[in-house]
Amino acid sequence: MRWRYLLLVLWASTIVLTGGAGATGLPPAYAPIVVQPTGLPARHEFDLSTALARAQREHKRLYVYLGASDCPYCRRYEAFLSANADALRPHFAPYLVVDLRSALSVTAEQLYIRIGNASRPYKAFQRSIGDERERLLVYPSVWLLDADAKPLMQMPAGAGTFETVPEQIEILRLEQ
Amino acid sequence: MRDTRHGLLALALTVMLGVMTNGSHAAPGGLPATAAHTDSSPEWEQLRDKLFGTRPIDVSRSRVQLNVPLRAAYGASVPVKIVSQQPQLPELYVKRMVLLVDKNPSPVAAVIELTPLVGQADFETRLRVDEYSHIRVIAEMSNGELHMDSRYVKVSGGCSAPPNRDQLHNIGKTVLKLPAGLRPNAPTTADVQVVHPNDTGFELNQVTVMYIPPHFVRSIKVTYGGEKVFDAELDFSLSENPALRFNFVPRAEGQLRAEVEDSKDGHYVGWLDVRMH
Repeated sequence: MRWRYLLLVLWASTIVLTGGAGATGLPPAYAPIVVQPTGLPARHEFDLSTALARAQREHKRLYVYLGASDCPYCRRYEAFLSANADALRPHFAPYLVVDLRSALSVTAEQLYIRIGNASRPYKAFQRSIGDERERLLVYPSVWLLDADAKPLMQMPAGAGTFETVPEQIEILRLEQ
Repeated sequence: MRDTRHGLLALALTVMLGVMTNGSHAAPGGLPATAAHTDSSPEWEQLRDKLFGTRPIDVSRSRVQLNVPLRAAYGASVPVKIVSQQPQLPELYVKRMVLLVDKNPSPVAAVIELTPLVGQADFETRLRVDEYSHIRVIAEMSNGELHMDSRYVKVSGGCSAPPNRDQLHNIGKTVLKLPAGLRPNAPTTADVQVVHPNDTGFELNQVTVMYIPPHFVRSIKVTYGGEKVFDAELDFSLSENPALRFNFVPRAEGQLRAEVEDSKDGHYVGWLDVRMH
């Protein structure tokens, strides 16, 4: 019997430390456009074209989130967004939220981003938009893009510096 | 037994509640999510006392300004730009600059002794920042005045980021460049970069699971035509492959020369012959 309780405690702690009850990806409250990879297994290509076209139609920006199914830091950030959806959702209004679903095993060489006819591996994509995070692929990653796929602000690697409500708002307001 | 079960469950729930409520109050590590750029810190109060005693420090940004992004791409490489608000004139110039990162294990990142030959006391470099922290520059003028500017930056993991080991065979290679070309008799921008891991001593070798011993550039001394431009005493807070962007005033052809020392008594030299046409 005691083992059952210990297992229960371990299970509860695991859920907490991984940041959610098994859910993967951005919370539905943010109405994310979920993009699954194509081209497997040779490459994991995420196509932003549809989201960009919609952003142009709706005069919005993109909040592009790259998460991994097996990444504890991703779960932590997703849990933070979920727990604070009421406070944060109004501030996401100028953005279309895009959720790219990857995995930790997908390396920078395997991860491709497609925009229209151009499909570039991670490093080349980062170079093409002048993003300094070219050197190291970090999960999770967030890009703030305008409807022409131009970065609105240099973002940090990971999401650890905007896991409080004021800091998430700071990011959405493009405060440098 | 029942108490034990309840205790374990209570512990799990406490952990759960702690994590779930952690998100909206403080940044990871408990540091303030928001702080004014001009705020003090306990570390700064101690450093100020040790470095400058009771001397007054002007914080009006009238002499020196610090430009640092609120969030950098990587904590291991935070771009820092120091902008001086007046030219280096023999009658009044920036004599010394101290660059600090309050929360780093070794907060004094650089102490730079300058001469009027710098022309314009602007510097750029990249720093490792270990956690949310203020970065400060204190400029000491030749008349003894002290001026400070500071910026609060949000990063994490700078000192434990995996080091780049691609260039170990080139350790000490010192390169000087004039990125915008030569400006005779005017402040000319120059870059000096040393290929060096600048190991902090806090990085773990993932293969041996042993900490990599500290090995970092201690000083860069730059001369032009044999005259001192600046001497910089440095620390492992500078990012790997330490680099400084600075100015100097070339009044005649000469050699721009950098002498480098590291913490294992490595001595390295780089130079650039400057021609007027």
